[in-house]
Amino acid sequence: MAETLVVFDDIVKSFGDVIAVDRMSLDIRKGEFLVIMGSSGCGKTTTLRMLAGLDAPTQGEIRLGGHRINELPTWKRDTPMVWQSLALFPFLDVLRNVEFGLKMRGTDKATRRRKAMDWLERLGIAEFARRDISQLSGGQRQRVALARSLVTEPEILLLDEPLSSLDAHLKVRMQAILSGLQKDLGITFVYVTHSQSEAFSMGDRIVIMSRGRIEQIGAPVEIYRTPHNHFVAEFLGSSNIFRGRVVSVDGGLVSIETGRGRFRVTGSGAGTAQEGTSTVFVVGNDRMVLSQDRPADAGNFLEGRVIGEEFIGATVTIHMETGDGQEIRAQKSHGEIAHLNTNVGERIFASWQPESAYVLPGEIDGPP
Amino acid sequence: MNRNRLIDWGLRAYVVLAFAFVFAPIAASFVFSFNVDRFPSLPLGGFSLRWYEAIAEDPLVWEGLRNTMVVGICASVISTTLGFAAAYTDFRYRFFGKPVYLALALLPPTIPVVIMGLAMLAFLSRVNLSGEIHSVIISHVVMCSPFAMAIIRLRLSQMDPSLEAAAWNLGAGEWRALFHVIVPFARPAILAALFITMAVSFDEFAVAWFVSGLNETLPVRVLGFLQGQVSPRINAIGTIVFLTTMTLVILAQVLLMRRLGRVEEMPRTDEA
Amino acid sequence: MKKVTIFGLSLSLPLLVWQLLFFAFPLVFLVALSFWVVENYRMVPDFDSVNWTKMFSRGVFWDTYLRTLALAAGASVLVSILAFPCSYGIAFKLSANLRRLAIFLMVIPFFTSYLVRVYSWQIFLSDNGILNAAFGLVGAGPYTMLNTDFGTMTGYLTLCLPLVVLLQVFSLMFVDRTLIEAAHNLRCGRLRTVFLVIIPSARVGIVIAALFCFILTFGDFVSPLYLGGGKPPTLSIMITDTTKAGQQWPRAAVIAIVMIATLLAVAFSAIGYAYRKRA
Repeated sequence: MAETLVVFDDIVKSFGDVIAVDRMSLDIRKGEFLVIMGSSGCGKTTTLRMLAGLDAPTQGEIRLGGHRINELPTWKRDTPMVWQSLALFPFLDVLRNVEFGLKMRGTDKATRRRKAMDWLERLGIAEFARRDISQLSGGQRQRVALARSLVTEPEILLLDEPLSSLDAHLKVRMQAILSGLQKDLGITFVYVTHSQSEAFSMGDRIVIMSRGRIEQIGAPVEIYRTPHNHFVAEFLGSSNIFRGRVVSVDGGLVSIETGRGRFRVTGSGAGTAQEGTSTVFVVGNDRMVLSQDRPADAGNFLEGRVIGEEFIGATVTIHMETGDGQEIRAQKSHGEIAHLNTNVGERIFASWQPESAYVLPGEIDGPP
Repeated sequence: MNRNRLIDWGLRAYVVLAFAFVFAPIAASFVFSFNVDRFPSLPLGGFSLRWYEAIAEDPLVWEGLRNTMVVGICASVISTTLGFAAAYTDFRYRFFGKPVYLALALLPPTIPVVIMGLAMLAFLSRVNLSGEIHSVIISHVVMCSPFAMAIIRLRLSQMDPSLEAAAWNLGAGEWRALFHVIVPFARPAILAALFITMAVSFDEFAVAWFVSGLNETLPVRVLGFLQGQVSPRINAIGTIVFLTTMTLVILAQVLLMRRLGRVEEMPRTDEA
Repeated sequence: MKKVTIFGLSLSLPLLVWQLLFFAFPLVFLVALSFWVVENYRMVPDFDSVNWTKMFSRGVFWDTYLRTLALAAGASVLVSILAFPCSYGIAFKLSANLRRLAIFLMVIPFFTSYLVRVYSWQIFLSDNGILNAAFGLVGAGPYTMLNTDFGTMTGYLTLCLPLVVLLQVFSLMFVDRTLIEAAHNLRCGRLRTVFLVIIPSARVGIVIAALFCFILTFGDFVSPLYLGGGKPPTLSIMITDTTKAGQQWPRAAVIAIVMIATLLAVAFSAIGYAYRKRA
């Protein structure tokens, strides 16, 4: 296990009556690419700003390298940030923007210039050194902001939704640059975003936040395949969610009674379920099997009608609705559904294997 | 359709007429300052510089000019400094009693100048500060700083608030961020505020008349001429005053407009 | 950043201190001054209401008060009406570049010597001035324009027109164009659209412009004195006469306080009217 660099110890941050971060504890490891993800207002940016020293925690302690830094103003920390707006100084040219941090640290002019030019070269924008910020494209500005933050050789870099203003194609390129840079430098990146694709493509670990609390921390695959609770499953949107009551537990096989029938679940997490409790299980959209006829095996299936379809790249997501109004999503390749009639209103069956269903550990023992 | 175009052109002609009304006295003052006749009327007499020569020989005019310059420069520097600090305060801080603070900072231009003049005269003579050139400077700072504050505040509201935070984050303390980020960003507005406040001070005659005592500024001198008999010397002085203040106001506006255009430019989306 | 810092104080305090000391305090002092008495041409601190009773019992004070009020109110209406077609033309009938130029030009006179411009009007308006010379060419006149209320109003127009036009233009520019098109689309004629759609939409700006006109003219002494002749006087002329001609500052203070009270009352009712919820 890698060394811990930053510790958030039971942190609370409130603005007046609004609690932005609610008793959060989090360890950030040395050299990891940590992504904090959540929808707007979940406290992710506040968390980043507290780490940068731009907001002070109301309660709790933040430690950097073992030392309490609650009271340390941002200009005495070494926690540079890449801003959502980039916050490049419009009255300075590219080179002077990059030099800014060194100048504030009293580095002599020659060293300053050399280091700044090194970074501009490394990011492939040396030719623009003497340009005004207003003359650069979005992607070039992004690189200037990166160079400006990295030129002081920090051991941690904070990024606040830096790619949100770029178009999709540029976003992918910048993601690659960021990942590569983080691996080369070996320093810690803390990256805040609301975008799943950014989080899952770059993060070593992902923190999912909601209403000021951490809902789940884990590696991307772990979060994707085994969401901890209802919120995470719904936030990711990649699973169908079913709520029900555990009626029998037989080793790894759990039977769960829902309003739509009784389902068998053998996937991971099932073994921890207790008989008689209410629980939630999920089935990945891509694990659903569609058929026009009632499946022969009288196992896990639901009947419904097609309400629409959605094309994303090479896959199609069929949306169907059961008789009592639950929406079911099935993500398939074009080939897999070529033989099906998926016009709106057609009767259709969705089925899944018991081992494809997964009981959410965070929802065990929930209220019935 | 024809009727509509007629109305449109009628409105445009009216606009031109309004401008003619506004600029006629300024133009007349200019024209008659070069007119040889003692009593300005039409048709024009010959071209002459005699009124300029007359004011050039008047030591009171020179002294007035000197006083005006001293007052104008001091008042504009002080009121721009105070206005900048207040604009930054309003930009950055929220505090109890802020509406009162803003009212104190912005209200002076809405108080009639005679009342300001009387109040300043009564107060300054009570504390033995009246009748001197610094009395005029003090009063003019009161009247000019709201303009400086408004101009600079407007500029700050166009700034990305994370710009200053970015400077702190890169290791600049509050004072260094102020001088390395806020001041350079607001520079065109600061210069514009210097020019505008100087123009306001250059033209202010009422309060200066009340408190200046023997240290008359040029506009107070003009007021003196007005109370006497008609004299084209006023036109000569007026032309100089007009040219000075118009230059200052035009410079200020050009500064503000040029910078605005540049900030609003969007980043190009293509990747080089 | 809730903490009070030396940095914050050194930026916020200078202007506060300056305006408290040299703006708020002199105005408060004016109130105290109005209760002082003058003995042997010297002012003596006192708490005597003699200045108030003296001023209020004089018919000429009330005549002047009403006259000043009427002049300022008249000027606000007149200037607003005269300015509106100009503002409308600038806001709707000029190209974007010409509009910018027009605004640019209108800002200049606002900061340019009012005193000299008033003097220049004397050249136009006097009995053998430019205008009468021009009228003479077509066989009309001469007319007496200087030292009349017409002269005063000309001066007021000089003082206020640029500011009123600017404020009206800004409020007209923010009128939603689709509202106007919707009105036309519903067969509302041009003129009716102006009165039923445009003026109500720009009400705040138009009222505020008129208010500024009132404030400026109510306190001005230059136009009524040098273009209106000063007889009968306005309140501002009374203040300058009372102050400059002797030591009767306490009585001038009484006039000043009455003026400020009037201005406050007018300002609050105008702002209240401007922002009133539409019925």
